[in-house]
Order: sequence, then structure tokens, then C-alpha cells
Amino acid sequence: MKRGLVLFDSAEIAADEWRGRVAAVQRELAAGGIDVALIYGDVSRSDDIAYLTNLCVYWNEGILAVPAHGDPVFLTKLSPRVHPWMRLTSTVAEIRSGPGFAELVAKFLAPGGGGTVGLIEAELWPGAVAADIRQALAGWDVRPLAGLVRGLRQVPSPAEVALLRRAAASLAETAAGAAAPGLTDRERVAAAERGLRADGFLDVLADTAKTADGVTSVRITGQYRYLWLHASRLAATGTAAWPDLLRQAIAAAVAAAVPGATAADLDEAARPALDLLPAGVTSDVRWVHHADMATNGEYADYPSSLPIPAGSVVVVGIDVRFADGTHAAVAETVLATADGPVCLTREPGAAGAASAASAGRQVR
Amino acid sequence: MTVNQDEAERSLRLARVRAAMAAAGLDALLAFAPAWRRENVRYFTDARVAGTASLVLLTATDADGVGAFSTRRADLDSIAGRGWVTDARPLSARSAAALTERLKAARPARLGVAHYELLPELLTSQLVQALPRTEIVSATRLMDDVRLVKSDWEIARMRRAASVVDAGWAAFVDVLKPGLPEHGIVAAVEAAIKGLGAEDNFMLIASGGDEVRGMTAPTPRVLQAGDMVRTELTPQLDGYWLQICRSAVVGKASDAQRRSFDLFNEAVEAGIAAVRPGVTAHQVARAQNDVFRAHGLGEYCTSQYTRVRGHGHGLHIDETPIIEGNETELPENAVFIIHPNTYTPIAGYHVLGDPVRVTRDGAEVLISTERKLFEGAVR
Repeated sequence: MKRGLVLFDSAEIAADEWRGRVAAVQRELAAGGIDVALIYGDVSRSDDIAYLTNLCVYWNEGILAVPAHGDPVFLTKLSPRVHPWMRLTSTVAEIRSGPGFAELVAKFLAPGGGGTVGLIEAELWPGAVAADIRQALAGWDVRPLAGLVRGLRQVPSPAEVALLRRAAASLAETAAGAAAPGLTDRERVAAAERGLRADGFLDVLADTAKTADGVTSVRITGQYRYLWLHASRLAATGTAAWPDLLRQAIAAAVAAAVPGATAADLDEAARPALDLLPAGVTSDVRWVHHADMATNGEYADYPSSLPIPAGSVVVVGIDVRFADGTHAAVAETVLATADGPVCLTREPGAAGAASAASAGRQVR
Repeated sequence: MTVNQDEAERSLRLARVRAAMAAAGLDALLAFAPAWRRENVRYFTDARVAGTASLVLLTATDADGVGAFSTRRADLDSIAGRGWVTDARPLSARSAAALTERLKAARPARLGVAHYELLPELLTSQLVQALPRTEIVSATRLMDDVRLVKSDWEIARMRRAASVVDAGWAAFVDVLKPGLPEHGIVAAVEAAIKGLGAEDNFMLIASGGDEVRGMTAPTPRVLQAGDMVRTELTPQLDGYWLQICRSAVVGKASDAQRRSFDLFNEAVEAGIAAVRPGVTAHQVARAQNDVFRAHGLGEYCTSQYTRVRGHGHGLHIDETPIIEGNETELPENAVFIIHPNTYTPIAGYHVLGDPVRVTRDGAEVLISTERKLFEGAVR
């Protein structure tokens, strides 16, 4: 849950970049004849809103209204008592609270007197909320819009890449500790929480899975500012031989994660090692854009032919399922550059690993 | 819990829900769980799920079984492993045939959807298309009412959660020292409670002096001697959330901080004293607010300064609100926290509260942590 550090630091992302993001959306709106875009978010999935404003929807729900001209306004069910904190930690100057979104939106748009409103990624909005808003906006043309903010988020800016590198160094080090020999499952999760929260992660989702032969997978997803990363490691390998094969497989899949590569390409790269796994094991090789990690990609469309965008940060993962129903997972967060993939969460000490110091890690 | 106790609990739940469905004229009930509201799916599965969308379908008769669906494949193992539903199937949010085919086979005339208000249009449209002649209504309130009264099985789990709450607060106090940032406190508490098996935690925090008006997510602010550090700490264990509200001073408390504690403690005690089976949330809130009014501080019970005087607990953190105007009756074995948290000019925002169970003749405080103004050593 989002109970970690919420920080708005202009040294991390400059004011011009924040303004540029909103301006990019506004250009799209103007080109499409949209007067106002509405972006819905809740505590579990609000990265579009955070990308444009750094607002943290730490509980409940909110809607960011982005007019084609003018500043965004945040509409929320949260109490006005949190407005000062929200202003302090975001670019938003105007925040309005109320018990229902339809009334908030209608009141916000009332001075306009009619026009076109776009619901960004309308299919992911709660249907009841969207219906209430359509009903409340008589005289307005309310249209669904594509995921234009998600599209902008797919390729991180240099400032975002710097944040991702810093966070990845922390995650790599923490994951190594959480996967160390001799820990209980609970101790592994506790190590993940302690390490990442202390380094300023906003959200940490850590769990473990165990196979019948005693191999534990430690899966850690973390959100640093509004950016997501993930790493899965194998721990307590005992005498089983297959964990090394799985490590070889993920290394091969990561090496294949170049711009334009598809999930099928990653599978092909990993296949020589995966084919040596014990009989009856099935595997799933996939990539998920970091921009979709709030939902683990489960609300997005990822056909096996979808190419990795150049310059994007993706999670490359392999899940294997054994005949007895147990499973194991390995995964890394990878920057797909034109010069080749950079494994941001590579284990400390591994060849090519970026040290925490060189990645600019700071404990805040 | 024994297998027999688990089975009895499962049967009890299905019977409760089916009775409520019959009263509401529902042929089928679909419990939807987005990532932040999973309480109803947990109620039916007793399994920890992590999918972005998970659902459970229940019809009026046992013959149809109870079906579970999740967008995350790993959830299916935990759901099937627990054995509370008949089958668990993977779900594609964009092509939810696994769910809609099952619904078509059930052919409900009236379908209730718990958290219908949160169901994405993507799924809503597929439901409507699959069931063109079905009346679809919200069953959110129905499930809230079903979950209000806890069974002995649930109370036993909440008692275990209480021990994690106590340990979490102990870790909180233990780590306080000048120079520590607020998010460093959270890191220590999270590690402590996760080490004890907590699945999740909801926590707000604030540090500082009289100027503090409320709590938020942690900031980089570093603690100073004399700060009062306030928190509401809410671990989740085996599905059940339980909260503690406390304030601690870094070093020795000032006279004003002590007077503030005395006021808030009086309000908590008044709230606890009001509890009996059938008491309304309004009455519990009013008992607390009347203490502030008696001290001439009634304005600090308004929405300008505070939100609620407590809230229900269970498989969701924030069940029925304890607030004036909420006439919800709280029967025996309802569980909620009494917390008169608000700002006053005495010492700024103050946080104090205990979770209680409604007993046959009063209230039982579920946690063991002493209700006092904690003072941490300045190290």
C-alpha cells in the first residue's frame, strides 16, 4: 500500500519538464477537438495523474481534469484537510473535494457551458462513475479517449531514467539481501520492506513462492516516486539443479530485450535453457512495460507480437509451473536502449552491474 | 482453526449471503475486487489474492457451486489451495468469457454486484452484453451488512491481528530518535510487522509540534527532540485489518502534550463506555464529541479539523464510519476502532484510539498496548 515516502523535488524533475508533460497532453487535446480531458485514478492505479502532477492518490479515488488551455485541476473525495499537503507534494494549485465525482465534474465544467470532454482510458474507469458523469454533463459531448498519457509514459525521460537507475540499485541490493540463504519467508519480505522503504520507496509489494524441492522465489515490486520496478530472485536452492537453468534463461531473455524484440523473441532466447528444465514444467516468458506495473500488465493488451519500444523500461520475467502446481519466478527490470539492453536490477557483483554509488543512489 | 471449524465458517458465510440475497431478490451475486477493495472476494475464498481484478460468483443454490476468477494466475493456486470455492479460473479482463459463460449458464433474472460502483467499464460492458435480460444492481451494501457482525472464527483471527498491532506500535516507539526521517519510522515498522506475518498495512503519520493539523503519508522531515509523532497503524493479518492510534513524544512530554492526551483519553473512554449491542455509530461518535464540547472545543469535531470518530474493521480497513449522523446499529461482535483524532490548539493534532468488539454488555478492547502518552528516550 502507498504508505512510503511521498516527495516532490524539483532537483529530480525540473519544472519545465512537468509543464512540458501537461503541454504535450494539451496539444493532443487541441488536435482532437477536446476541451477537457478527465483522468481517473485510485489508490492502486493512478500513475497517469502522478506523471502529470506528482500527485499521490494515497487512498480512495481522484480525477485530474486537464483543460486544453489552462492548468490541471484535481477533483477528489479526499478531505480538504489534505489539500495543503497535496499542493506541497505536486504541481497542482487547484484541488476541489466533494462526496461525488459527477457533481464535482459538473461544477468544474459549468462555466464552460458545453463542449467536448474526453475520458482518458474510459474502458478502465469504473462504469458507474463514467455513467454518472455522462448523465451530469447534459449539453456536453463526452467521448472515450485512448491512453494518451500512458503512451507518453512508455519512454522515460533522462530525469526519469536517472530515478529508475537509483531505485534499481536499491532494489537490486535489497533483493539480494532478501534472497540470502537461511531466511524464513517472512524475514525475506521484512528485508524487502526495510531496505526499500528506508531508501524512499513509496510502495513495496513483496511475496514468496516455494516449490516442492524447497526453492523459494522472492518477488519484489516497488514504486519509487511514481515509477515502478520489479525483480524476482531464487533463494534457498538446496540441491536442485534447475534454478541455474532458470537463471540462464532469464539472462538470455534479458540479453534479447532490445528495442523491437517481442515476447516470442524473448522466449526463443530463453528456450535452450528452459527446454532442459524437468519434465512437465511449463514456462511463460513475458515482458511488461514499467508504465503498466501498477496492474502487472493485467489491464493492458500484450499480444506476443508486440515489440518493446526503443528507450523504454520493461520488466522481463519468466514464470515456471511444475506438475504439482507449485511455481517459480525470475525477473529483471531492463532499459531497452539502441545500444542494447541494460539490466537495471542486475544482482550486485554480477558482470556489468551498476554499483549503487555509480547509479547515484541516495538514502533520503 | 481445524478443518471442521473452517468448513463451518464457510457454510455460515454462504448461508448468510444467500439469506441476504433472498431478501434482496437476487438470483446471483458477483463479488468484484479491484486491487484496493478485495474484502468480499476474501470473504468467499479466504485466500490472499493479488490480481488486478478478481471475482467470485455465487448463485442461490449449492448445485451451481461457487466460482472464482482472477487476472493473476498465481491467485488461482492460493484460491484453489484454500478450497473454499468450487473452482478457480484465469480471467482476461479484455475477454472475460470464463466469467460471462458461467453467468449465461446461471441465467439470473437479477444479479447483484458487490463493488459494482468500482467495476471497470471494460467488464461492465461484457456483463451487460452477456446478460441482456438481467437486471444488474449493486450488492455493495448487502455485503457490507453481511460482514458487519463477526463470527467467533473471525474474532479469533482479529485477536491474532491484535498481537501484530501491539508489536507494530512497540517497533514504532522503539525506533523514534532525533534525526530519523518519517519514512525511516515506516521502514522499521513495516519490517517488524511483516516479520510477524502481516500481509499489508495502512499507516498515516505526522511529526512536529502544535502546528500539525493532520496526518499524511510520510515525508522526509526528520524528528527533533520534543516532537509529538502521531500515527494510525493498521496491519492486516490473515485478511483482517486492525488499527491502533497513538501519539508518542521524542523525549519528555510537555505539559500541553499531557493535557492534550488527557482530553483525548477522556473522549476514548466516553466512546468505549457508550458501547453496547445495538448502539448506533452516531451515539458512539456523539459520546466522544460531547467530551470536546464540554471542554469548549466542540468546533474541533467538525469536518474542518477531522473526519470520523472511528470506523469499522474486518476484511476492509475502513468499514462503517463512526460519525454523527450514521444511524447504523452495531450489534454484538461488530468490531470498530474508537478514535477521536483531531486538531486542537492545545498541542496540535492528537491521535489516540483502540479497536473494540461489542460484547453482550459493553466493549472489549482488543489490543494490549497501554493507552498513554508514550515518551521515547532521546538517544
